[in-house]
Amino acid sequence: MAEQRRKPSESSSLSESSASGAVHVDGLTKQYDDVVAVSDLDLHVEPGELLVLLGPSGCGKTTTLRSIAGLEHVTDGTIHFDDEDVTRQAPQRRDVAMVFQSYALYPHKTVRGNLQFPLRKTDISGTEATERVEEIAELLEMETHLDTRPAQLSGGQRQRVAVGRALVRQPHLLCMDEPLSNLDAKLRVETRSELRQLQQRLGITTIYVTHDQEEAMSIADRIAVMNDGRIEQVGTPEDVYERPANEFVASFVGDPPMNFCDPDDVQAAGIETPQSAAGSPDTIGIRPEYIYPTDSRGEPAAGDRVEVDRPSDPVVLTVELIEPVGRAYEIQLTGHGLDLVARLRTRPDDVTEGDSSEFVFDLDRLTTFNDAGEVV
Amino acid sequence: MASTTFMRERIERIDPRRREVLLGYLLVLPSLLLIGGVILYPLIYNVYLGFTEVPLNPDQSPVWIGLENYETLVNSDRFWEATYNTVVFTVASALLATALGLAVALLFDRAFRGRRLARGLVLLPHVTPIIAVAFAWQFMLDPLWGNLPDFLAWLGIYESDVGLLQSRDHALQMAILFDVWRNFPFAFLLFIARLQAIPQSMYEAATIDGAGRFAQFKDIILPELKGTILIAILLRFVWEFNAFEPVWLLTRNLETLPIYAYKSAFSTYNQGLGAAIAVMLFLFQLVMVAVYMRFVGEDEL
Amino acid sequence: MSELRLENVRKEFGSETAVSELSLTADGDLLVLVGPSGCGKSTTLRMIAGLEQPTDGKIFIDGEDVTRRSPSGRSIAMVFQNYALYRTMNVRKNIGYGLKHSSALSKSERIEKVEEIAEMFGISELLDREVSALSGGQKQRVALGRALVRDPDVFLLDEPLSSLDAKLRSQMRTELQRIQQELGVTTIYVTHDQKEAMTMSDRLAVMNDGELQQIGSPEATYVRPENRFVASFLGSPAMNFLDIDVERRNGHTRYLLDSHELVRVSDDTQAIDRPIQLGIRPEDLTLLDDPDDGATTGTVRHVEYQGNDSFVRLEVNGRIVTCVVPASVRPRQGDSVGLNFPPDQIHLFDMDAGDAIRSPSVDASDTRIETGPSTTEGNETDSRGANR
Repeated sequence: MAEQRRKPSESSSLSESSASGAVHVDGLTKQYDDVVAVSDLDLHVEPGELLVLLGPSGCGKTTTLRSIAGLEHVTDGTIHFDDEDVTRQAPQRRDVAMVFQSYALYPHKTVRGNLQFPLRKTDISGTEATERVEEIAELLEMETHLDTRPAQLSGGQRQRVAVGRALVRQPHLLCMDEPLSNLDAKLRVETRSELRQLQQRLGITTIYVTHDQEEAMSIADRIAVMNDGRIEQVGTPEDVYERPANEFVASFVGDPPMNFCDPDDVQAAGIETPQSAAGSPDTIGIRPEYIYPTDSRGEPAAGDRVEVDRPSDPVVLTVELIEPVGRAYEIQLTGHGLDLVARLRTRPDDVTEGDSSEFVFDLDRLTTFNDAGEVV
Repeated sequence: MASTTFMRERIERIDPRRREVLLGYLLVLPSLLLIGGVILYPLIYNVYLGFTEVPLNPDQSPVWIGLENYETLVNSDRFWEATYNTVVFTVASALLATALGLAVALLFDRAFRGRRLARGLVLLPHVTPIIAVAFAWQFMLDPLWGNLPDFLAWLGIYESDVGLLQSRDHALQMAILFDVWRNFPFAFLLFIARLQAIPQSMYEAATIDGAGRFAQFKDIILPELKGTILIAILLRFVWEFNAFEPVWLLTRNLETLPIYAYKSAFSTYNQGLGAAIAVMLFLFQLVMVAVYMRFVGEDEL
Repeated sequence: MSELRLENVRKEFGSETAVSELSLTADGDLLVLVGPSGCGKSTTLRMIAGLEQPTDGKIFIDGEDVTRRSPSGRSIAMVFQNYALYRTMNVRKNIGYGLKHSSALSKSERIEKVEEIAEMFGISELLDREVSALSGGQKQRVALGRALVRDPDVFLLDEPLSSLDAKLRSQMRTELQRIQQELGVTTIYVTHDQKEAMTMSDRLAVMNDGELQQIGSPEATYVRPENRFVASFLGSPAMNFLDIDVERRNGHTRYLLDSHELVRVSDDTQAIDRPIQLGIRPEDLTLLDDPDDGATTGTVRHVEYQGNDSFVRLEVNGRIVTCVVPASVRPRQGDSVGLNFPPDQIHLFDMDAGDAIRSPSVDASDTRIETGPSTTEGNETDSRGANR
């Protein structure tokens, strides 16, 4: 992951600052009257990393971001940028740039004027400022639009200018609060990969808030999954998806979400349930993509380049519904007290709605939870 | 230079949250002083004057006479007539101006060509200098040259031998008419803003539900505007009760409480009596403001 | 069950044509109108509701011409995007308002009906609440209840789920589908979200620029788009389009990218002598670890991990091609990989007109290759594309 980040090229004046950029949050608590928005939160962001704060609305992710940016007074805890304690510093002295959901561009200024604006308060001026603006415009592929006003730009272009305006000052930290939610679905997918590539090229430490798990997975170096003012898990997208720490993370990350079953039903279906020293599990989770139909020989029909590590015995389930969702099919299955969704890459042969059919589970992919919802 | 750094260090040592609270107090202090000096002092002085007789000689101090001014007022027919005029004027013009404002706002709550221009024109009565429009109205109402008396006579509802502004009964009606014309744009502005905040889809939903125009007015518009209507009427009550220039400039033949106070203080130089009338006006205002606060709350004031 | 039929409906606003020559039929099923903003889908819905008058054309409900009828006179119900609940009434009055104004029911019958529908939507406890005290999901239920309490012949929904969060949305989606199936009411559902459209609909009508592009089952529309617009609108990540040359030799047709063969097919039934564009869905491309194995090679520029899939952006001859692979396949940035274009999955589009001139067969496992857009089984394809 670290080696994916490309080192800044020497010629560019825009990317000298990537040696530093760590953020350390310790014991952060934020209380509004008697509502605790964030409680005792620890978070460490590596220099040059893109960390996503992911969670449902009201989980405290935006409050955390705003506290780090200095837009909220923290009730308790400390925030350090590298070794400097910035907990009590005003936002304008913290060297943070922020990109909001609404682009907040100056409508009467051109793209150039917007990009140049943050430099006014710095000692960068004249030709150096011009150069820097042109350089950032080139990075954003907006160099032909420098003299256009925001009203004439598309939503995606406006968002890029907003990001450019945040980056032109080369801040210690870039904060983004749901920056793509005003764009339509198609543009969102395109813009997020552009944003990610830009961030990697500049190597700028970034904290990114979103409630969209797909967006989080696609752009993050690491994801901090939040709920109820606490961090449930921090890890790479793979960690969070494949090794969730608890039931909340497992249910929040993944589309369609993980199936949760009663171990008794699983056993009744003839699938061996994993046993551990801690006793029998309270809930068993299985991701929809690890349920496979069987082919004519009774083997799991997993499709190209997918391996089933430890297939279970075939289980007969009733196919309630086959939903095409574009690049995959979501299949609702019932039987033995189970109620499951399977995700298949191709329409399965010989499987029709209303009929019963054989399915196989990948036993190595079962996740077990104890009664506290933690992974055993 | 050294002392500013010192100050700065001291300030920075204070916890930022407390710093913010302190700054807050510091910022409202000037306005508190201003309110105290500019508003409270004259008010209290006026109440004091109401209990005195003010001699014409500026070298002599006012003489404390207790409630005598108030006794004089309560026992005079002139005061009661002025009160009657004020109440009729206030209630009628506040209600009519609000109703007319609502009617015009409803008319304007749709897209049509030239709406912005028309809306600007509607505001004219309210923004034109009152001295100009008062003279224009006097001219219109004049028994010799005015076209309004002619028109009313043609309709057969008015004998054009007495000037409309000259007879007391008619003067009150005309003052109300003039004031309604002048002030309906205020209510209009309040209502049009509120009307435009009602989503179009709400009317559409009602149309699909089978509600006709009148049902939509009764079930959607009126409930949505209820608060605004109340505010408009209350504010107009407060202002009309105090209204001086619309009446005074239009006709000298109508006496309301503010005019009575003015005449007492500056025509007959009985400043103590004038102050006493002003105090009674003020008490009425206090009641209205209390009602307003009760219905509307502090936030929207 | 009532049949809704639109015949050559057209709507102009001044000089702008919002909807042109639209004909479609729905009968007891859930038809989704989908398209980008400004495509005319909402205008179409509002014409069915009677909130807009068509400039031309006719609208029939159960064979009766309702084109000139008032909204309340055509037995339709509508759910608006922002719910459009009456803010100054409580939930009970909101639901009962339509009954009061356009039914002959007595007061006690109306009360009964309101309570019945409230139970159906699980909002009985909310009946005496003010609308402003409801959460988004509750408002949504009230809006649905208000619409369905009148037993409409045609049920219209204008982006009803767009203001809900993801979890609530998928919950409401399932609930809506269940209720629609239970009642069997003809339903027209407008959305701009292609995923919602695919999962909700019995049939999908894709619109663009005021014109119906294609109508059919979601799956058939996805697999066999009749023109480039439909192909690019449905699917995420979007279909890849490449400008190619076609060469025919010895009974083969070869598709060339910069004179390099991408794929060779054996059908040559259709003479192709105009500029064409090749389309292939990201999930249909085959990614190979060894660059020498594929028909062409690409360099991995960017990988987006999705848990169950990964999106891989490849640079192929200076063009960016997106490929979806199982998450277990993990190419790394900078890797060279091989790429194959399975002949069964190739779409071809007329470069200028955008019409499909070759599509995969509906059954993807079937290797039979058809040319041109064919009529889909069991579904009418009364769209422009098919008529050409």
